[in-house]
Formats: sequence, C-alpha cells, structure tokens
Amino acid sequence: MLSLRSRVLLMAPAIIVVTALLVLPLGYLIRTSFFIGEAGMPPQGGATIANYAKLFSDTFYIRILGKTLWLSFLVTVVATIIGYPLANFMWRVSKKWRGILTIIVMSPLLVSIVVSSYGWLVILGSTGIINNSLIWLGIVEIPLKIMFTDIAIVIGLTHIVLPFMVLSILAALERIDPVLAEAAKTLGANDLRTAWFVTLPLALPGFLAGTTIVFSLAVSAYVTPAVLGASGPNFITTLIFQQFVSLFNWPLGAAIAAMLLVVAIGIVFLYVRLFSRLGGPAVHAQNVAARA
Amino acid sequence: MSISFRLLIAALIIFILAPIVVVVFASFSATGVAEFPPSEWSTKWYPHALSQRLFTESAVTSAWLALVSTSIGVPFALGAALVLVRTRFPGRDAIQTFLLTPLIVPSIVIGLSILLAFSAAGIREVPMRLIGAHVLVTFPYLVRTIMASLTRIDRSVEEAALTLGAGHFMTFWKITVPLIRPGIIAGMLFAFIVSFDNVSVSLFLTNVKLNTLPLAILNYVEYNYDPSVAAISTMLIAFSLLAAVVLERLVGLRRVVGG
Repeated sequence: MLSLRSRVLLMAPAIIVVTALLVLPLGYLIRTSFFIGEAGMPPQGGATIANYAKLFSDTFYIRILGKTLWLSFLVTVVATIIGYPLANFMWRVSKKWRGILTIIVMSPLLVSIVVSSYGWLVILGSTGIINNSLIWLGIVEIPLKIMFTDIAIVIGLTHIVLPFMVLSILAALERIDPVLAEAAKTLGANDLRTAWFVTLPLALPGFLAGTTIVFSLAVSAYVTPAVLGASGPNFITTLIFQQFVSLFNWPLGAAIAAMLLVVAIGIVFLYVRLFSRLGGPAVHAQNVAARA
Repeated sequence: MSISFRLLIAALIIFILAPIVVVVFASFSATGVAEFPPSEWSTKWYPHALSQRLFTESAVTSAWLALVSTSIGVPFALGAALVLVRTRFPGRDAIQTFLLTPLIVPSIVIGLSILLAFSAAGIREVPMRLIGAHVLVTFPYLVRTIMASLTRIDRSVEEAALTLGAGHFMTFWKITVPLIRPGIIAGMLFAFIVSFDNVSVSLFLTNVKLNTLPLAILNYVEYNYDPSVAAISTMLIAFSLLAAVVLERLVGLRRVVGG
C-alpha cells in the first residue's frame, strides 16, 4: 500500500500539469472574453459584457451558432442510424472478424483528419468520383455542387465521429446476456424483430453515451468545416479562427470559444447528470432489461 | 444474417474506407490533378512530395513534437495511474475525471487558451507553446492506457518480490515497470499519433517558420490540387495502419481509445 506521502508525491505533478496547461489557460480565456474588443487592436483591459451582447444580438453570429448545432444534430442522427447495424454486426461475428472490423471502423480515427478530408475532396468535388459517375450514367448533365456545402460537412463529420458511436454501442451490446436474443428467436421473432425489440432497448446506455460523445465532437470540429464547407465562417470553430487570425479581435473570439466550451462540456455534463438520476448506467441497463 | 443486412454492412464499410482508399489511388496518378481511378499511373509524386521542404521540414517538426510531448507525459501519467489504480480515497473519481478533462474540452479551445495564457505570461517561443499544448492533449491517453495495464497485472508477483526482500523502489523498477511496459508503449504510440495528426490545437500556435505536417498539408491543399498531398497522405496511412496493427497486438485498439 502506498503511504500518504508517496501518494501525494505521485499524484501532485499530474494535477499541477493539467492545472497549469488547462485550468489556468481556460480561466484566462474566459477573462479575455470580458476584455474590450476591437478588430485589429490588441486586447485592452477592462471588464465588459459587450462581446457576449454582440454574439446574442447580431443575427450573423446567431445564424452560425444555430447552423453548427443543427448540422451537429444531423451528424448525430446519421451516425446513430448507421452505427447501430455496424455495431450489431461486429457483435455477432467471430472474434477474428471482430478484430479486423475494429481496425476498419477505427481507421477514420487513426488516419489523419487532413488525409480523409482530402479524400472527400477527391470523391465529392465537381470532377470527383460521384459527379463523374452521375454524368457517365446520364443522371445529371452538369456536376452537382456537393463539395463546399453543408452536405459535405455532414458527410465528412459523420465519417470522423462514426467510430465513437460504433464502439459505444458495441460496448453496451457486449454487456447483454446472449440468452435474451436466443429466447426471442425461440419464441418466434426473426432477426430484424430481435434486433429492434430486444437488442436495441438493451443497448440504450451505449446509444446515450455514443450520441453524447458524437454531438460534443461534432460541434467542436474544425478541419472538416474548414476544408469541406463553404468558404468564410460556416461553423462556430471557423468563426473563432476568423476572429483570431483574420480580424485579430481576440476578446470576441474568446467569447465565442467560451460559448463553444459551454456547449461541448454542457452536453457531457447533462449526460452524466441524467444518468446519475437514473441510478447510473448499470442500474439503468437493468431497468431497461426488466421492461424488455 | 440476411443478405440485405450483409449488403448494408458492405456499403457502410465502403463509406468508412472510401476517402482513405481514394487517396492511395490518387497518389499514383500521372496527371497533375488528383483523380480516381487514375487515367495514367505514375509514382512521380512521391519523389516530388519528398523534395518539397514544406513537407519534409514540417514532418520533422511534427515527429519531434510528438516524441517530446509524449515522453514528457509518461512519468506524470505513471505516477497518477499508480495512485488511481492502487488506492481508494475520497475524491479519487473526481481526480480521475479531472485528469481526463482535456478529452472533452474542444481542442480548438485548448489551443486558443494556451496561446492567450502563454502570451500573457510572456512565453512567445513557438516550440514551448506547442509542447505545452501537446503534452496536455496526449496526457489523458497515457493515463488511460497505463491505468488499464496496471489494473490487469498480477499483484502476487510484486508481493513475491517484496517478500523475498526487494525494496519498494526495486520492486517497482524490476517487476512493475516490465509488466506494464506493453501498456506504456501502446499508450505512447497512440499519444504519438494523436499529437502527430493534431490540427486544431496547433492551429493558433505555429508560425511561418515552424509548422506541423498536418497544417502544412492543410495550407497546401488550399492552393494546390496536385497529387503530392495524396503521396504524403499515403505514407501517413501506411504508418497509421502499421501503428494500428501494433496497438491491436500490444493491448487491443479499443482499450486505448476507451471503447
């Protein structure tokens, strides 16, 4: 057993590192968001809520924030719909296949996001695979504009966040007693009915965890909207970048960043609170199982 | 499993692999534009990409940054993981959550806050800012993998060493560390990838002189459409694939990501 003194000596450095590199800088970011901001000017001191007032009164900012939340919601829905069949399949195949599929499903995480964004550029561009095939098939005459639109952002983001959805659902599926699905089949339910009425409700905690992670990741994504979306600020993250790098309005940029922080952490916090109210994931799963 | 279900899975796997496969094919295109499938084949974009200092210099920057940040994090993560796995005390869960917070804070916000705080503190050197930010974003992965491997080792081996007269430090160094070495290596490898591929954190911290590879690629594709980026990307894909296989063998990929 570790003595109290050695516990402190082992633990303190890690806490100091995270405090120095995360807590204090975040505090300073929030402090900056109350500075008087002027485009192109170095941040001046003082304390004002003008930056936040501007964000919530100017329709330009409200529109981008709304669009970010809407597209992230779409991404979460699509990732849930296509994540479940994948997780269900991985759950049912042999251990060897599950290993191979894990590498495939996780590949968007392991390959640099810059690389996959570039790949989408080649696929979705006006001379890309999709448009060339559509023209060759005679379905369209002029190339469809997919690249540099919101659709491209949703496709690219879904691709990036899918691994988290699949792995969350799979983790929940693996905790299910396989006897339950067998019982459903013995009682005459086919594959689809078993998946929909027995397995799906039992995997609910996985869905909740997955949607939380996916939504939080989607709202904070930068590369996908920057590369695949329309030029100019089209997402909360690209808006922050514009404020900092092009307009040099650090206080306003800091205020937008603080808002993103609240949204991204808020959704995770909400999830944790919701679960503790239901008595924790394990108890919750049992409740669902009892009702199924 | 029905045919339609299998077809659906096949379609989803194509969706997942499509952008990656397309990049590999496009890198062998003989024309000046990245296309799939290439109308003419060539390997000329590989030497072309490797001759551009934009890519080689930033690749070196990214590699040392990832190596330094990951190495700095290991001793801190090891200390914390030992306490978190081996002791129970009030507030333990809170501390664990706290050390993993960098995972849920948007990385663009992390990059910005480091920029602002380091500037305010008078630290303007680009390498310092980058290392600070990358130590932070790789840290949770190190803590998690080292904790996972500490949880799984057989304590009786350590107890045997202690009984046989080895001191606590000796036991730790000669028994515990070798037992968790695969976990530490896997954690470092994954942390290396996280750092090497990072864009959003480095975005605000680099300058014209010192750029990371992902940012250099991002800048390049803004103005160029030639397949040299595809060639660089293919090399990165090969590296990632290799790393994935090593990780799967060492500890299992899902354990690293926390699935």
